[in-house]
Amino acid sequence: MSALGEVKIRVPASVARGSIARARALVIHPNERVERKDGKPVDRNYRFVNRVVVSYAGRDIAEFETSTSIGENPSFGFAFRANEPGTLKVTFFDTHGGRFEAAAEVKVG
Amino acid sequence: MPERNLTRREVLAAAAAAGVASAWLPHAAVAQGSLASLAPEEPVDKTLQRLFGGRPIRDGAPLINLELPLIAEDGGNVVMSIEVKSPMTPQSYVKAIYVLSDKNPRPLNAKFIFTPGSGQAYVATSLRLADTGDVRAVAEMQDGALFMVKRAVRVVVAGCAV
Repeated sequence: MSALGEVKIRVPASVARGSIARARALVIHPNERVERKDGKPVDRNYRFVNRVVVSYAGRDIAEFETSTSIGENPSFGFAFRANEPGTLKVTFFDTHGGRFEAAAEVKVG
Repeated sequence: MPERNLTRREVLAAAAAAGVASAWLPHAAVAQGSLASLAPEEPVDKTLQRLFGGRPIRDGAPLINLELPLIAEDGGNVVMSIEVKSPMTPQSYVKAIYVLSDKNPRPLNAKFIFTPGSGQAYVATSLRLADTGDVRAVAEMQDGALFMVKRAVRVVVAGCAV
């Protein structure tokens, strides 16, 4: 069992300079869905991931605005341009103030 | 109270839990999971109107590759990937991709924002789909031009209320 907020990030072992690489990040998170009662949505403070920020070599390169209609344990595959070696960092934010991140070093050959 | 100093994170979490929304909280607006923080329940046409106004949306078939299963056994976890052809240079890049599911009460699943540093306008994730219907991807270019494709997905077991 993994704990809520654990982030896993997968990057290629090494990337050719200037090429475009793909990576994947996943957070262990219920990403709660909206409950319905008698056909009506129940209003409460749902806990879901609503923002994901991807940065590479200190610069933000992508941002995802997400909702309850992304599956449990949200995972995202994305690309980045590897002009220089650097740290790929993915940060997940949730509606309960949670901030979960992981980073991976990218070797650029 | 135990005698220890609270970390900044704990203070923020406590403030969020108490529903405190003050100016010094950088993410006060997003530290809320109420229905009001979500998009309204509406038909997909209304979502498109809300997001793009009356701006023309062109056929994105030559540019956008949207991959989804024809049949999704579990609507709670439908694997999707999108790639939009673009040089991704500062002069010409995909600014955002919107994913909408026609049959979800709140059709907008997510908005993915890119920069030239993304290298490719590519994203893969898993969606919750409430029912059988179309899933759309709308790509917005750096100049504001819009392109759309859609795919029909048959959902066997619904992703419940999403």
